[in-house]
Amino acid sequence: MQSSSNLYSCSHCHLEFESTTMIFESLDQKDYSFCCKGCQSVFHLLKDEGLDSFYDKVGSKKLHSVNNEHSSLSKFDQEGYAKKYITTNNNLNEISLIIEGIHCNACVWLNERILHQCDGIIEASINYTNHKAKISWNPKEIKLSQIVAQIQSIGYNAYAYDSSLQEARVNKVRKDYYSRLLVGIFCTMNIMWIAIAQYAGFFTGMSQSIKDILNFAEFILATPTLFYTGWFYFKGSYYGLKNKMINMDFLIVSGTLSTYFYSIYVSLTGVGEVYFESVTMIVTFIFAGKYLEVLSKKNAVDSLDGISSSIPSEQTIIINGNKKTVDTTMVKTDDIIEVRPGEKIAIDGILDNYTGNFDEASISGESNPIYKKQGDKITSGTICLDSVIQYRASKDFANSMIQSITTLLEESLTKKPKIEKLVNQISGYFSLMVLIMALLTFVGWKILGVSFEDAFIIAISVIVIACPCALGLATPVATLIGVSLGAKKGILFKTSSHLETMAKATTIVLDKTGTITNGKPDVIHFVKEKEFDLNLLYSLVKSSIHPISKSIVNYLEGIDKNIKEYTLNDTKNIEARGLKADFNQLNLVGGNIELFKEMNIDFKLNTSHSVFVFSINNEIVCYLELEDQLKTDAFKTIDNIKKLGLEIIMCTGDNSNVANSVAKKIGIDNVYSAMLPEDKANIVEDLQRDNKIVITVGDGINDALALSSSDIAIAMGNNTDLTVKVSDIIFINNKITTLYDAIVLSRSVFSTIKQNLFFSLIYNFVTILFAVLGYVIPVVAAISMSLSSLIVVGNSLRIKRIFKNGR
Amino acid sequence: MDDNVISAMIFVSIGLGSLGLFAFLWGLKSGQFDDSNKFLGGALHDSEEDLNSAKKMTDKQEKIKKGEKK
Repeated sequence: MQSSSNLYSCSHCHLEFESTTMIFESLDQKDYSFCCKGCQSVFHLLKDEGLDSFYDKVGSKKLHSVNNEHSSLSKFDQEGYAKKYITTNNNLNEISLIIEGIHCNACVWLNERILHQCDGIIEASINYTNHKAKISWNPKEIKLSQIVAQIQSIGYNAYAYDSSLQEARVNKVRKDYYSRLLVGIFCTMNIMWIAIAQYAGFFTGMSQSIKDILNFAEFILATPTLFYTGWFYFKGSYYGLKNKMINMDFLIVSGTLSTYFYSIYVSLTGVGEVYFESVTMIVTFIFAGKYLEVLSKKNAVDSLDGISSSIPSEQTIIINGNKKTVDTTMVKTDDIIEVRPGEKIAIDGILDNYTGNFDEASISGESNPIYKKQGDKITSGTICLDSVIQYRASKDFANSMIQSITTLLEESLTKKPKIEKLVNQISGYFSLMVLIMALLTFVGWKILGVSFEDAFIIAISVIVIACPCALGLATPVATLIGVSLGAKKGILFKTSSHLETMAKATTIVLDKTGTITNGKPDVIHFVKEKEFDLNLLYSLVKSSIHPISKSIVNYLEGIDKNIKEYTLNDTKNIEARGLKADFNQLNLVGGNIELFKEMNIDFKLNTSHSVFVFSINNEIVCYLELEDQLKTDAFKTIDNIKKLGLEIIMCTGDNSNVANSVAKKIGIDNVYSAMLPEDKANIVEDLQRDNKIVITVGDGINDALALSSSDIAIAMGNNTDLTVKVSDIIFINNKITTLYDAIVLSRSVFSTIKQNLFFSLIYNFVTILFAVLGYVIPVVAAISMSLSSLIVVGNSLRIKRIFKNGR
Repeated sequence: MDDNVISAMIFVSIGLGSLGLFAFLWGLKSGQFDDSNKFLGGALHDSEEDLNSAKKMTDKQEKIKKGEKK
């Protein structure tokens, strides 16, 4: 199968190679070419099994070439593995697998067919969208290892997938809610037509027999809605009563159930009007609101799973030179892990002897690949782009960056803010009050001489309209949006209650190095006193790992793309001063001004920056000034935060000269310099004694103490583990501008919550009043109640817009 | 119009509607809408051998079910 000039395309995978590397074969008077033994064997297998129509289905799409080197299959039959991934039902085993190497529908077809042909496999269905396979089999006839071997034999690979993941759970809940909502909507749509007929008959006259037929039809439609769609309210009120609490669910249940039984009573006796349509509509409308809530939760979990789902569940580790595949959770600190190009790193570690480019976009938002070499830290969640690397694990999976982030987000979604707890307590009392009020309304109207039916319906309206759904939705929807919007902006809230505290904060204590400044010096001036070979300077600084040398290396690489490194002799580090080396009878010296003073070489420069001087044969040829530069937009951010009315204090371990110069540049008046970690913590505590709510932002171990004693602790993204542990909020993108975003976001969320609460309380007060006075019928009550929930949700959605205007 | 006609019309239409609803819910529950890509692409692979394979699979499942009953 020659395709172009000298390239041959593999008959199985369709990848193209030169003729010298190909294996040629003739079969049934046709010529075939294969790139490897693996592809050839799969091709023959498919032919023998009668599955060669796969090639018609796959068309000219390119597949992976077949990899025959699979890890041992014995692990699939181990007891621990079975316990973790396999579920047993009616003597049949079931597992969820992720199939690697699926490109198209034809691959799904092939995998399903090969599994279907195996004896003992009862069901095999593969989801094309997420490559997940559900397989059930009879363990007496076939073992899991044999099933996986079957998948591997056709050039794919499979590994187990833990279906207890968030996504699976949320999807199940969503499906259940969706089914219930569908039943509700179906019944409501039908019952509305019947209700129209009844209303028409009410005004124009209708025989009792027709009325009975319509009543019965309504009864049939209302029953599944109340007991199937509305099941959650029954369950909710049961658990509420069990805990001696009357909750919102109880209000809905008492309202709808009494209307339902009253309507049955009316249909049987033929006196008065039925209200089945109210029951159906109330349940469906309120349930629709509940479904929206589940949907928004699903979206939040989706963004979580977006981070975690692509983490490989297995790692290749090297033990005594042999490769072994183990479960990601089983990797221990100091294990050597091998990662192939394109794979995601699952475990934090340090590079040994290898170099490679890494895509860190998902963690830091940095869009350019980052080159890493020996001794550099690699973070989980990043992707190794171009080379096979081996690295040493510095943590286990649970403590690695990506898992910590996922856990943090999960926690923040489940923990409730203080204000929400208060709302839940209030709505308990509120519900009891409403029930009493409904009873009083009924008695009151009866005393006034109104018929039993009318008084009853007015009382039901009071219950329905008072259902404080809006009150219940006021906080969670706003915080949910706040937390997920924060995550998108690189702000991780450990719990959503921190949004509330953050919004109330009065003072910010900032660390300097790494928070306001980049934490590494940059070359700001390069002055050549004489012409010389730049490669000499480059070679000298390249031999040192000091931050200043590193910065100069970066700078020189930036100004001259063709710069190259010479092999220097006698390279020596002069402690805290500089470097020395020889090259072809040239004596190279580079370092600070002190070094040259000691060498009796005269050099004077009046500057507040760090200086690196370079000499050849004791003659100064150039010098560079370096400065730890302010982070991008630092001045603007501080200015903006000041405008929000927050007091800003800078605390640093640096001397007062440097501290004051940075503070002046950035516009901070309150500066504390030469601070030890305890001093920083004391300042925070002093501020708290003055009834101030303090946010501390830091990045180093020296800030950990201050962070732990402040009301809100924020860790910058390049932080140490300790700072992450003691902090409440983490800025993964390491930008100072995020601080302003975080404050604006939390304030916006908190004010939205207050607006929501205010609105729903006023709304409930006014509508209850109307209902008690008898101006509202149950259907209108249900509609207006849903409307109030929608207003609260809509108001909360406005939070999403805060970053859209020019930001 | 006779009452019986009205009741027949109402209950037949509700019955037919419910049939559709239940069919959809059954489809939803058995995961037929989980994977829209496969759902649409499935039509491409609807040949005789696929039908045979599906039949074989059903036979296997039924055999297991019979075994349970015994």
